Amino acid sequence: MIPRILITSLSLFILSTSVVLAETARIITKENALREQCRFFSPVKARMQYADVITVISKEGDWYRASFKGIEGCIHKNAIEEKSFTLSGISGTEKRSATNAEVALAGKGFNPQIEASYRHNHPDMNFRAVDLIEGYAVSETDLLDFINKGGLNRP
Amino acid sequence: MKQCVSLHIVILLLSGFLASEVSGFSFPVPSIPHLDKATKAAKEVSRAQRPISDEEEYYIGRAVAAKILSSYPLLENRALTGYVNLIGQTIALHSDTPQTYGGYHFAILDTNEINAFACPGGTILITRGMISATRNEEELAAVLAHEVAHIHHRDGVASIKSTRWTEALTVMGVEATRSYTPAQVSQLVRIFEGSVEDVFKTLVVNGYGRSQEYQADETAMRALSRAGYNPASLRDFLLVLAAQGTTTSGGILKTHPGTAERIENSAHTMPSGKSDESTALARSARFNTALRK
Repeated sequence: MIPRILITSLSLFILSTSVVLAETARIITKENALREQCRFFSPVKARMQYADVITVISKEGDWYRASFKGIEGCIHKNAIEEKSFTLSGISGTEKRSATNAEVALAGKGFNPQIEASYRHNHPDMNFRAVDLIEGYAVSETDLLDFINKGGLNRP
Repeated sequence: MKQCVSLHIVILLLSGFLASEVSGFSFPVPSIPHLDKATKAAKEVSRAQRPISDEEEYYIGRAVAAKILSSYPLLENRALTGYVNLIGQTIALHSDTPQTYGGYHFAILDTNEINAFACPGGTILITRGMISATRNEEELAAVLAHEVAHIHHRDGVASIKSTRWTEALTVMGVEATRSYTPAQVSQLVRIFEGSVEDVFKTLVVNGYGRSQEYQADETAMRALSRAGYNPASLRDFLLVLAAQGTTTSGGILKTHPGTAERIENSAHTMPSGKSDESTALARSARFNTALRK
């Protein structure tokens, strides 16, 4: 009796740990990209927005291999909130996504609503310049060209 | 039989425990009604201890930048700003925090003062005077790397008084909502104002502490080395500033360790690495073009 229970339990144990990386995670940057290879400047396969939920498949150094809307690719660990991961269903077939509550909690605290009120109270603060600064964009092509021509290292 | 069932349960629980440990994730537990209050309280404690989220840091950083920019005008020179951004983005990608909620942005303050400020979340403001004081791209990269390091270490938000977080969490509660009542907004705005003031004072008036500066220098030199710049360029630039006897009212130079102490510390912690000399001419040429030297 004991051996049969042990075998069953151990099988369940192995099954549950083998699927542990099929997790969901939430994007914590305003926008991000799912890349073909696990490195910067690799071609972009999909674009994601803040609070989008991806499925993490495996970890490769500072990167995660993940899927988003059926597209598989790589995303840097900085872009996702690791603590928002949840365990997969123990059967390995049912994955639990981040709940609406988890996603909603992410926007709590200092958010656009608080900034808007702050701006209203402080019209002297130069948010126009801040918006201008955030509007400066460096394209990946220009950045790669700058790195190559300057004899610098690719990240 | 009872023992067998117990054994079975223990193994299953162990598998769940290990699974959660392996991945570093939380293990979902079934909801038990009478524990709801306790769970909520535990959540509040847990969130009180959590660091500020990237999104919140971004909004504080925007307000801090807006406050600095209400004192210093923005230099609207696209060519020079573009060049500073290319160096800064290269450094950021080689840092330990290559991405932030709103990304890194580098801008120039139109003043002769020699200074630089790392606003929480990734906006870095460097003065025209500071750029003019650098002698080459490596030294400019060193200044930016030092500021990126402060972003990575979250030194700006670390200056926010902890009582503000406790107060903010009390206002926010545990309900999952992104919008607040007018009374809650008023309370949170007051806390936000206080937080912005705390960071502003540290960045502009008091400066960071000794350990924060040493740590930022060390982190900056590692990023410089990874990027392919000579990490010694940080020490070289500090030597230039020390020779000039440069003083400022705050920011990068208004620190508790003096420039001489930072130079000495950098000598002990400098990683190996040199820039590619064969491309030094190209870097020198683009530096001179951007700065019109």
